[in-house]
Amino acid sequence: MHYVLQYGQVTPFLSYFLGGALISLVLSGLAFCGGMFFGLVGALCRLHGGPVLSGLVRAYVVFFTNTPQLVQIYVIFYGLPDLGILFSPFAAVLLGMTLNAAAYLTEILRAGVTSVHRQELEAGETMGMNHLQLLRFIILPHIFRVLLPPLSSQYIMMVLGSSMAAVFGVEELTGRAFNVNSTTFRSIEVFTLVAGLYVLVTLGATILLALVARYGFRARVKVL
Amino acid sequence: MYLDIRGLAARYHELQVLDGIDLSISRGEIVSLIGPSGSGKSTLLRAVTGLLPPERGTVSIGGEEIDYKDRRSLRAARSRLAIVFQQYNLFGNMTVLQNAVVAPVKIRGRSRAEVEAEARDLLARVGLGDKLDAYPDQLSGGQQQRVAIVRALCLKPEILLLDEVTSALDPERVSEVLDTIRLLAAEHITMLIVSHEMSFVRDVSHRVAFMAEGRVLEIGPPEQIFDAPQVQRTRDFIDKISRK
Ligand SMILES: Nc1ncnc2c1ncn2[C@@H]1O[C@H](COP(=O)(O)OP(=O)(O)OP(=O)(O)O)[C@@H](O)[C@H]1O
Ligand SMILES: [Mg+2]
Repeated sequence: MHYVLQYGQVTPFLSYFLGGALISLVLSGLAFCGGMFFGLVGALCRLHGGPVLSGLVRAYVVFFTNTPQLVQIYVIFYGLPDLGILFSPFAAVLLGMTLNAAAYLTEILRAGVTSVHRQELEAGETMGMNHLQLLRFIILPHIFRVLLPPLSSQYIMMVLGSSMAAVFGVEELTGRAFNVNSTTFRSIEVFTLVAGLYVLVTLGATILLALVARYGFRARVKVL
Repeated sequence: MYLDIRGLAARYHELQVLDGIDLSISRGEIVSLIGPSGSGKSTLLRAVTGLLPPERGTVSIGGEEIDYKDRRSLRAARSRLAIVFQQYNLFGNMTVLQNAVVAPVKIRGRSRAEVEAEARDLLARVGLGDKLDAYPDQLSGGQQQRVAIVRALCLKPEILLLDEVTSALDPERVSEVLDTIRLLAAEHITMLIVSHEMSFVRDVSHRVAFMAEGRVLEIGPPEQIFDAPQVQRTRDFIDKISRK
């Protein structure tokens, strides 16, 4: 075997790849935000929702954490149209990733919510805070501080997992790698370059999350 | 009477903790609540602030009865009260200064500059002028409790409720917090204090209430409660603690 690496053949596609990386970042970022929102709702339902609501959320979590994400998106993309519900590839993947993230984040956030000191909440309550204010001033900053590592790794898994969008024809980073590979046939160069870009994207995602935690939710976290 | 508690009852599930509490405090008065562990002292403060809604009885502040089922009434009452607990009062994600100003500014809508100036002034007076930007976990327990008291004062409460604010502290930290409360006493702030520090209670209170079995069994000036209790149950309790 004699293979000469020729990165020169793929570097002209760098900006095309970067565009794909941006789509990956946006896709996973939106899914993560949606997952955080529904995950928080799920966590609060599990903790304070009464037996019925809490049981439903639990069933949801069990279902989504015990089936492959790819299969979940298949159902959304290929199954739901039979019921007359059509999604673009991007929307189908976004929805699937959001629902999946919501399940994992429900469990992560539940642990975070229970670790808030009861006295802090009671102090807030007697100072006149309503439920939303307790969430904003006490619970969320606490969650983003103590849970930043698990939240970051969830986010990174989602950035990487977004590569399955290529299967449905979304031209994010992996999809674009397929495209370039099929015209240049420089597989090693294409996929090592793309792998390197994924490292940069996940690093960027981690920093982004820490910035949001710190400046959006006043959590005491270091950005780097 | 300024804070007027009548026939107050509250329970945790099956356990009837408060069983007809009568207690009245006049404006500027300092009343201390003593009694055996588990007698319901903390529960009384929690019931008054609505953290544990009472099942019977009434609480009124300045003649206005609190309707614990009505959010507006409860919020109005809470804006006149402030409570400091035994520990973990402070918001861990906020600095000392942020802790003190968050509620007055974000909840009550007062001007940040004005509240910050007050908070700085109060913090300086309790010896924490150089800790404005520290986080609670960077402070000693005694310092944290002083911040908690300052934070309560920044709410400009008409009545301050203190629940064993020194009991989680190392002995050498106790006096710094008690001194802070003495400072307030000198300003005639109405206070209901739960404390195990009997010499402090005797020193600072206008009246002392002895609580047991969910009721106030005896109330009177400190000299009466500590030196000449009228009720057998009080006498037993005072004997027991003074023997220690
Ligand atoms: N959250 C709770 N759930 C159930 N029971 C409780 C709860 N908090 C307190 N109790 C019970 O209520 C009773 C009164 O408790 P409370 O904390 O009011 O006593 P206390 O007089 O403050 O005692 P201490 O001096 O030890 O602080 C106790 O029997 C206690 O076990
Ligand atoms: Mg207590």
